[in-house]
Amino acid sequence: MTKLETVIQPAKFDAVKDALIEIGVEGMTVTEVRGHGRQKGHTEFYRGREYTVDLLPKVKIEMVLPDQIVDRAIHAITNAARTGKIGDGKIFLARVDEAIRIRNDDRGENAL
Amino acid sequence: MTTGPQPTAMPAPKVLMATPAANFPLRDQYRQESQRMQRDFEAVGSGLAALSSRTRLVDSLCLTLWEQLFTAGHNSCALIALGGYGRNELFPHSDIDLLFLTADEAHRDPITTAIAGLCQTLWDCGLRVSPTTRTLADCGRFDPNNLEFTLSLLDCRFLAGDQTLFERLHGKTLPQLIARESDGLLQQLSELTQIRHQRFGNTIFHLEPNVKDGPGGLRDCHVARWLGMIVALASGRKPDLVSVRQNGAHGEMLAALEFLSSSRCYLHYRHGRDDNAIAWAAQEEMAARGIATGSGPLSPAEWMRLYFRHAKAVYRNSSQLLGQISRERSSLLRSFQHWRSRVSNSEFSVVDGRVFFQQAADAREASVVLRLFTFIARHGFSLSPESERRINDAYLRLAETMPQDQYLWQHLREMLTQPGAADALRALHSLNLLTRAVPEFETIDLLVLRDLYHRYTVDEHTFMAIDVLHRLNTEKDATLQPFAELMSELEHPELLFLALLLHDTGKGLEGADHTHGSLQLTGAAVKRMQLSEDAAAAVCFLVASHLEISSTLRRRDIYDPATIRELAAKIGTPERLKMLTLMTLADIKAVNPEALTPWKAENLWRLYTRTAGYLDRSADSEGLGADVSTKAIEKIIAMLPERGSTMLKFLDGLPQRYVLSHAPEEVAEHFLMAGQLAAEPVQLSLRAVSGQHELTVVTTDRAGLFRTLAGILYAWGMDITKAAAFSNRAGTVVDVFCFKDRFRTLELNPPERERFKRSVREILMGEAPLAPLLESRLKADHQPVKLTVATRLRFDNECSERSTLLEVVTQDRPGLLHTISSALTSEHCSIEVALIDTEGPVAHDVFYITCAGKKLSIETMPAIEWSLTAELADALPSTW
Repeated sequence: MTKLETVIQPAKFDAVKDALIEIGVEGMTVTEVRGHGRQKGHTEFYRGREYTVDLLPKVKIEMVLPDQIVDRAIHAITNAARTGKIGDGKIFLARVDEAIRIRNDDRGENAL
Repeated sequence: MTTGPQPTAMPAPKVLMATPAANFPLRDQYRQESQRMQRDFEAVGSGLAALSSRTRLVDSLCLTLWEQLFTAGHNSCALIALGGYGRNELFPHSDIDLLFLTADEAHRDPITTAIAGLCQTLWDCGLRVSPTTRTLADCGRFDPNNLEFTLSLLDCRFLAGDQTLFERLHGKTLPQLIARESDGLLQQLSELTQIRHQRFGNTIFHLEPNVKDGPGGLRDCHVARWLGMIVALASGRKPDLVSVRQNGAHGEMLAALEFLSSSRCYLHYRHGRDDNAIAWAAQEEMAARGIATGSGPLSPAEWMRLYFRHAKAVYRNSSQLLGQISRERSSLLRSFQHWRSRVSNSEFSVVDGRVFFQQAADAREASVVLRLFTFIARHGFSLSPESERRINDAYLRLAETMPQDQYLWQHLREMLTQPGAADALRALHSLNLLTRAVPEFETIDLLVLRDLYHRYTVDEHTFMAIDVLHRLNTEKDATLQPFAELMSELEHPELLFLALLLHDTGKGLEGADHTHGSLQLTGAAVKRMQLSEDAAAAVCFLVASHLEISSTLRRRDIYDPATIRELAAKIGTPERLKMLTLMTLADIKAVNPEALTPWKAENLWRLYTRTAGYLDRSADSEGLGADVSTKAIEKIIAMLPERGSTMLKFLDGLPQRYVLSHAPEEVAEHFLMAGQLAAEPVQLSLRAVSGQHELTVVTTDRAGLFRTLAGILYAWGMDITKAAAFSNRAGTVVDVFCFKDRFRTLELNPPERERFKRSVREILMGEAPLAPLLESRLKADHQPVKLTVATRLRFDNECSERSTLLEVVTQDRPGLLHTISSALTSEHCSIEVALIDTEGPVAHDVFYITCAGKKLSIETMPAIEWSLTAELADALPSTW
């Protein structure tokens, strides 16, 4: 099993979610986050006041998937979230040793 | 408190041992009886009967075990039912609250083993027992950290053991405790109830309500019962249990209790545990089975309407009791309410925060009733039960005579802008009068729409959205404070509130796109209320576009200039942008308490500021061409169709912003004024707008015109709050100034209006000097003012094709605009467009300037900046 932690543009969330559901991903955890990578921040003005926008809004999607669909999931995410500009986001992958469904003690991929 | 002989419906088990293994027959018998009761409930559907049966069953079980386990040596000990069990209201999966009462500590130890055996056996039977062992003295002490125990004692009922001991508790210890601690008890009960209600957003109108703990749920029935008992015991009376149970509320409480009990009973059987949420699936089942309806199966929507009706009765009753008791108990609150009662007038009197009609017959007059709700919205009072009854009695007449046209709008526009508007609308709606005034609202009356996002019925969501905006100015959340400022800047907040009132009415119509339905209903409503064309267009625009910003936030990159450009083009004007932003905020926040996260609020604000910035920065670009044919221009030309081509010449070169920020009637007026320039070279129009004055000057362009006008207004003691300067390709200038008349010169001396206009005209035509007027004003205004805002200047040569944008933020002061415009003129700059705004002590002015018809060069900017900074510093009194 692999855990995918994906950070994307908020505007791309609906498209990414639909693409993941399309390939059979059933569960995900979504968090509204702020951050920056290479995109960095910038300064904005409103009515003479200066606003430093150093952390930009992003959406983080976390999911643990059976290994056999990880590549398809990555493909779905990159296809749906890519604009080609800095700030499109990242996908982080990590091995997961075990998963347990609290309700009935299912283990492994059965618990996903 | 209830006492009395215990039923023995259950035959005594044959096995008398207290060991767990020995009690299978008892357990089986309990299970069989429980199953029979479930079948009875499913056949008959009476919740109260089911509760009573189960209470009798558990009583029998307890008595049997008591006889088995407690010997004659266990004296000075009693078994007592508490809480819901004590009230004979034992739901299928409720806890069994038991009190083992002993006379003193010495009698506690000998019964420990028997207590453990009794409780263990009950657990083995499948009952969730909550036992407590206390001495009589323990029960006489009030523990502020355990209010629940004292409240559960109020419902105590004798089961077995030493009845004299129970009588001592029931007849002496408890009344003494209540009499001694009634103030603290009432206060804590009131606080706990408020906290519980807050957890549910203080509304009964949840899509998936909790039948026990939600506002208007069974817990509120209990609160009403406890309040009655505490008040009676505190005053040395015996509680009248019948009236306490119904709480004197005309049988509607009893009907509500039956409905809620049946519903909760069904939920317990359905879920197999103490789960009291009426989820959608449960709603469908209960509606289809006709649970608690008394009239057979219903549709889920009808069943929920029935639920809301009962919950409303319970909520109103418990809230009234709590309010009444709070007022009686709190001298400080009474003093405050007494002070507030001074707002009574010839139509309404206020007693203890409740509003009464001065004349009973007035309750029959629709206009008086509407004024009553406006009064409530303004002062935050609640309707007295007597006024409510009078309105109910006169309902048929009120329903027939309720205005729906411009007379309604006269009342509604005032009511909507008052701080308590949402509560006033709720009260009006609960009396079924809102739908008589605004029939479009009928479509969403108690409407339950099933999605995973919304938590309240559509009508309640609407009231909440209105409330969100009214509460912005007291909002402590830092992410919401900028929106509060935005709210205070609105020119016509009543239009935003009307749009909010109608924005979801389409949800009650057939069709996938509720916005379309809402727009149709809104169009009909604003037409009937005879709003002005502009006002109607603004309300319709807001309703039609109320999802536009949400959709942009969700689907578009808000940092992409194309997104901002498109949104700005759709919205058009800064005022509409402000209203739509606030509408979006309110609409999201009213969905459920967690819907508006700080993340979303921050993104909304960023989208707003970027779009507002774009609208400011594009103020002089995208000039109208002579051949431009847009909807707005078509409307303007339609006003003077015979002069269409001349009108287009007048519009040629004026920025888009000019057309978007002025009503067609105003543009037509400016056009007519421009047509008279040959006869009279300075055309003036002066009118009162929203407590201020608006001066429009149409003339031919000349050097220093804007500066001179700013100087004249300052010299007359006027405080400029907004200004805009526009010019067309032919050199005709339209300058508009909004100002406050600081000394009420024009208001108190009508002849001064003509003298003022004459003065403007003479100075602009060079027939009278400005300098002497200015000098005398400067002397009069030379008063020290604390400086709190540092001056900041910013040039931007990128945002406009033709001009340089200069943004000035500085301390507002008399004559500021004149100071800035004079400095710019002395640096040979022409002001092409000026956008002036003032927020409290901060002046925020944006100028589009040119020098010899071109943008400023980078080299000239420092000199202008230096000059302007010096002027602004010099213009401050030395003590600043």
